[in-house]
This record gives sequence, structure tokens and C-alpha cells, in this order.
Amino acid sequence: MKTDTPAGDVAEAPHLGVIESKLMLPRIQPGALKRARLLEMLGTNGGPALTVIDAPVGYGKTTLLRSWCVERNESVIWLTLDSADNDPVRIWTHLATGLGRIGDGLGDRTLGALRVPAGPMETAVDELMNSIAAYGRPLAIVLDDLHAVRDEASLGSIRYGIARLPANVRVLVSTRSDSAIGLPRQRARGALAEIRARDLAFTVQETHELMEREHIVLTRKSTELLTERTEGWPAACYLAALWLRDVENSDEGVRAFAGSTRQVGDYLSEEVLDGLSAETREFLVQTSAFQPFTPAMCDVILDRTDSSELLDDLARSNMFVVPLGAREEWYRYHHLFAELLQLELEPEDARVLHTRAAAWCRSQGLIGDTIEHAIAAEDHNMVAEMLAEHHLKMIWGGRPAQFLTWVRWLPSDVLLQHPLLAAAGAFAAALLAHPEVEVQRMLAIAERSRDEHPELWSPYTEAVVEVTRAAQIERGQVGSAVEHARRAVAAATEGADVLGVGVLASLAQALFYAGDLTGVRRVALKAVQRADAPSVPDGYVACLGLLGLVDAEEGRIESALAWARQGIRHAEAQFQGGLWTASMAHLALALALSASGSLGEAEREALRGERLRRVPQPGVGHAHTLLVLAQVRIARSRLAAAREDLERAHRIIADFPDPGRLPAIAATVEQELAAAHAHAGDIHLVEQPSAAELAVLRCLARGLSRREIGAELYISLNTVKTHIRDLYRKLGATSRENAIARAEALDLLEPSQSPG
Amino acid sequence: MSIGHYRIVIVGELGPRYRSAFDGMDIHVAGGNTEITGAITDRSHLQGILDRIAALGLTLKSVNALDDAQPAR
Repeated sequence: MKTDTPAGDVAEAPHLGVIESKLMLPRIQPGALKRARLLEMLGTNGGPALTVIDAPVGYGKTTLLRSWCVERNESVIWLTLDSADNDPVRIWTHLATGLGRIGDGLGDRTLGALRVPAGPMETAVDELMNSIAAYGRPLAIVLDDLHAVRDEASLGSIRYGIARLPANVRVLVSTRSDSAIGLPRQRARGALAEIRARDLAFTVQETHELMEREHIVLTRKSTELLTERTEGWPAACYLAALWLRDVENSDEGVRAFAGSTRQVGDYLSEEVLDGLSAETREFLVQTSAFQPFTPAMCDVILDRTDSSELLDDLARSNMFVVPLGAREEWYRYHHLFAELLQLELEPEDARVLHTRAAAWCRSQGLIGDTIEHAIAAEDHNMVAEMLAEHHLKMIWGGRPAQFLTWVRWLPSDVLLQHPLLAAAGAFAAALLAHPEVEVQRMLAIAERSRDEHPELWSPYTEAVVEVTRAAQIERGQVGSAVEHARRAVAAATEGADVLGVGVLASLAQALFYAGDLTGVRRVALKAVQRADAPSVPDGYVACLGLLGLVDAEEGRIESALAWARQGIRHAEAQFQGGLWTASMAHLALALALSASGSLGEAEREALRGERLRRVPQPGVGHAHTLLVLAQVRIARSRLAAAREDLERAHRIIADFPDPGRLPAIAATVEQELAAAHAHAGDIHLVEQPSAAELAVLRCLARGLSRREIGAELYISLNTVKTHIRDLYRKLGATSRENAIARAEALDLLEPSQSPG
Repeated sequence: MSIGHYRIVIVGELGPRYRSAFDGMDIHVAGGNTEITGAITDRSHLQGILDRIAALGLTLKSVNALDDAQPAR
């Protein structure tokens, strides 16, 4: 759960919350039995796409996977899952980071996609699969402890990925329960290998091997007895080895054990723990509270100087201490062992340890770890402090969901003392398209704080509250959005310049839908001219798009093209290509292209813009994209499609209390559509073309030359020329372009044949 | 608010150390098994106990609602 990368600036934020220890491969310990028969079951090269090792705790699943990784020479992405991974963004961020360790930059597109707030997980998963396929070489992904993940969104994303694995990757999963990741489907396809408890249980031979390795002398009978009593449960066998190592007469010990009715683990762990020196036991118990840890961390928290030697010793002789990664740094305990140790911990002692751990993590700049420990210590103030210090990094850096989860942990009375967090939480919730009621709840707390604790209120908090309210523009409250955005700008000017780009973008957008185009230019220019603009991609790209739109509407085509392309370029570079703020740049480009005659390309851009604004609750933005799309389609004479777009826009706008200029735009589009229909009314067929002529017509629409048409339709060049001449006559057309346009208007072409 | 009493039986007799994992419940050892009985407040509470049992590597024998229990949702 611990060890995320040190705090940097916003630019490093995509890696915020990457917990290094989760990506570390556990090191093979000297005492581990090499389970040749199981390794054979797993197979080294090739093998099924998905392997699941499903057994209760203590069956050696992780150890098996780890030795399997050692046997192979290929790359492995190892991810240890835990209960905080009930957040798909966190899972895939780690997988993408892991991929990036294998090949520089391989994970970048996935990480970019993950930064889009409330973006569809499918996009990110597809990016990762594409990157893996592009990598080409054999690769394995290990998901350890999948049972910790119960959240449907997380499991769904894994299921989605598993169904789309490229040929060069294998996925191996360890779990304690049959996780809902699509096993029946993989089983049916013969693409699943399973290893279960009965496979993992020690045979008498394996128990014997273990005891021999530990230099424990047992009779054959004792070995059998031991295996039988433990039912081959590996954890019990390893515990037995630890116990019997220090026992005079091991055969007698085993007899007593076999004759007892005590639960196996209980009996053995008592023997082992009681057999440790008090000092060692205390060390183990205390460190179990804040694992994983480094020796340095233990020294500081426990006020010792010898943690390094102690851990080294323990790891060498004890299977249950697991060193992580290549270097001698991080350690954790085997899950079962940690559970047992934690039974000895008094809640108060645990709290103290977590507080110290939080302080240590903070000193190392490990933000996520600090917060997690502070939460375990129930230290509200520390959590609030950390969130206040790092909220911008978290929200702009693509982890608003994580931020919101942490804010929600704080009780209301603490949030009242930290209005900034309530406001930022509301903003994050709005960003993530969470239900309105949640956004309002957090805003209410912020405003209550302003009333009850005015001394805690600041222009910064004011700006965040107002820009969150302005975000409600999507619900069709344009006038109100302008008001709130203005207030946000005023507050930012007064004392929160760092929010400048964001609040200006918010205002520019609101003004656009209100119809104040001069205002849009002024505000958007101010935003894009700021030195810090490019580092706030959302706001920057939105303003570039808006500038393009204004120029396009007012006929300054060259300028519109320039703004639009700049916006799209920047969005692509950040992979904000999936972000809705790039939508406006696409629309601007569409309008500009349409005005310069590139009708096909214009429609494609308009569609891109429209798709980026599709949300479950269509808002002002989406309605606008539909209107632009309609306009572009009218220019191409695709009147039926344009009519549909216009209808959809009308339906959305009808529900808006204050839709700004949208009704006016819709009216204009209505007029253009009527005019186009009237014009099309002039278009009539002199005569219905024959089937052969229609075939030629469709080829013309695809841009084929006359020679190519002849080749495709198996007719002579002369015949093609004849057909074309007749087509022109029948359509009343004067040129190829004209003929195609008329054919479209007359619906003679299938939609898929519209010229590209 | 309680959805009723449950009796959970696991294989093997639990000693003091393991019993402390089930604070608040009655523990009774009989015939090579351990019975954990008590009031369950809701489904999450029950799930938490079952998770604990799994985490400690215990073998679950049975889970039964006792007379007054409402079915756990």
C-alpha cells in the first residue's frame, strides 16, 4: 500500500499515487521449495492466455508465481493488488507504469487516457493492449491477490482487458476466490489454465523435502502424520519447519501436534511466536502495523539502529518475511503472518505506529502513503493538511477520484474547518460527473464554513466554489454560469492567480454560450497568453478552441484554422484527445473547413467534436455540437442527417431553463435547412438512372477514375464514358462534383458511399 | 439494529490468540470445532467476519442464522 513516488510538480502528477512496492517482484527466499511439478503445469513458454491460481491464504500462490517469473527470460509486469485497488484508474495506472518500465514510453498513451476525468475505462484498457501488441515481444502480467478487488468497475475493466489480450501476452492471476473476470468464457475457449488448492497442497514427498532442507530429522511416519494433519497446507508446513527447527525431539513434537484438536494454524503459530525472543516478537508485531517498510523506516519509527541486520536475518531464515524488489530496501510479511502478528497489536499502539509512519512518509515526500497512514491513525488534521497542500496536483494531475475519496473520509465538522477541501471536493465531483446532489452537498459545507468561520475563507476557496457553480452550465443555466464564472475570475485575480487559466476558460465558455463573442475573444486571449497556460491543458485547449470558433463564426477562416489546429495539437500531445475541452477545437476546425470547401473532412471533424461531448445527461455543450454538425451536413446536402441532428438538439434545449444563444443558433440552422430543401427542390431527376448507371455513380462517389471504374465493374472504358454522359443528363448535372452532390441530395447514394 | 444472531462454525479449536480476532462474539469450543456466535448488525458485519476467517486461513464449516434472524441481504 505504500511508497508512492516523491512529490514533484504538476508535470510529474501522472505518477502521483504510483505505489512502487506494488510493482516490485517479491524476492525468492532461500528456504522456498521449488515446486517443479507446479511449474510444469504453468509451462514456461506459450501457454494459455489466462492462468488462475485460486486457493486460500498460505498455499504458496505468490511464491509459485514468483519462481515462475524467474524461470522465464521475458518481461513481467508484476502488480500486487490490495483493497485500495477498488478503483480501476489506480489499477491501470500501475499496469501502464509497469509497462513503461519494460519499454520507455510504452505506457504513456494509457497514462494519458487515464488522466481524462470520468473517461471510459475501455479507452485506457484498449490503449494498453495496443501498446502491448506494438511491443510485440512475449510479456507476462501477474496480478497478485485479485480477491482484494471487489468493485464491479475494477473487475469489469480487467474482464474487458482479458477478453482483448494480444497474442504476445499471458496473464497470471492469484486469488483466494473465483473473481468475476470472465473465467467461464476463457474456460469455454480453452484459454484458461487453473491451479487450485488440491494442486498446491504439499505431498508427503514435498513435506519431506522441506524438512530436509531445514535440517529437521523426521521419520517417514512423522512426515506422513504432519502432511495429513496439515492437509498439506503449505503455510502450516513452513510454520512447522520454523517450530521444529528449535525443538529437541521433532518426532515427538509432531506426534503431540497430530494428537491435538487445536486449529492447525493456531497451534503452529503459537509455537513459532512463543519460540521467538521477546525482542524479535515485538519487532515483528510493531512492524506489521505499517508494512511494507524499509529498514530506515523501521529505525526511525521504532527508535532503533539495527533494523537492517534484523530484517536481513529474518528474511534469510524465515519464509514469512518477504523482501521486495531487486534492492535490499522494501520488505513486507506474508499475509497470514501479518494477520497473526496484528492480532497482538493493541489498537492504541497501532494508532501511534501509524502516526509515526505518516510522519516518516511525509518526510520522504510520499504523499499517498502519508495520507493512508494518517487515515489509519485517524488523524484528521494530518489528512486535511496533506490534502490542502497537494490538492491541485491531484486534481489537475488526473487523480480527482482519489482526492475525492480521501476528502470524503473527513467528517463534516473537520471539513467545516477546511472549506478549501469541501470546495475542491465539490469541484472534483463535478469534474467526475458525479450526481448533482453530491456536488451540492460539498458546496453546502463550504458555504456553511464561510458563514460560521469567515476567518478561514479565502479568495482561493471563493474561486473554486464559483468555478464549480459555473460548471453547472451544462444543465442549461447559461446566464447563471456567466455570473459565477465572473466571480471566480474576480476571486482569482484577488488572491488565486494560480487558478487563472482555469477560471478564465470557464468564463470564456460561459460567454460563448451567452453570445458575447467579443467577450470570449478578450477572455480567451488573456488565458492563452499566460505563461502557465500550456501546463493547464483543460483550460488552454478549451480557450484555443473557443478562439477558433469565434473566428470561424465571424468569417476569419485562416485564423480559425490556426487556433483550432493549435488546440488539437496540444490536446493530442497530452492525450487529452479524449477530453471534452478539445471538442470546441474540432468544431472550429469543422466550420473553417466547411467554409473553405473541404466538406467531407469538415463533417468528420464535426463528428469528432460531437462524440467528445456525448454524456449520459446531454448538456449545453452537446447541443451546440449537434447544431454545428447539422450546419456542416447541410453544406454537404446531407439534409436528412442534418434534420435529425437538429431535432436532437431541439429536444435537449427544450429542457434548459436558460439556454443562452442556443435557440438562436438553432433557428439559423432551421432556416439554412429550409433553404437547402428549397434548393434541392430544384434538383429533380430528368430520368431515373439504370442499375448499371447507378453502379457507375457509386464508383464516382468513391473517387475512382474512369479507368478504375471500368476495371471494377468489368466494363470497357467507352461504356463507362457513355454511362457517365447519361448520368449527367439524367441528374441535370454539369460536372462530377455536381453529379455527386445532386445524387446525395436525391438520396441515390447509400450513406456509406458518401465521398470521403 | 440487528439482523439477528448467527452461529459460525470453523474447523479446529481456537486458542486465545485467534479468539481475539472475534472480539464481541461468543466463542465455544466443542468436538474439534469452534463455534462463533453473536449478534450480527448487517450484511457487511457478517462479511467482515467471513473475511477474517479467510484471512486467518481457517476452514469454514457452517454459517447458520438462529431463530430470530432476518435473512441477511
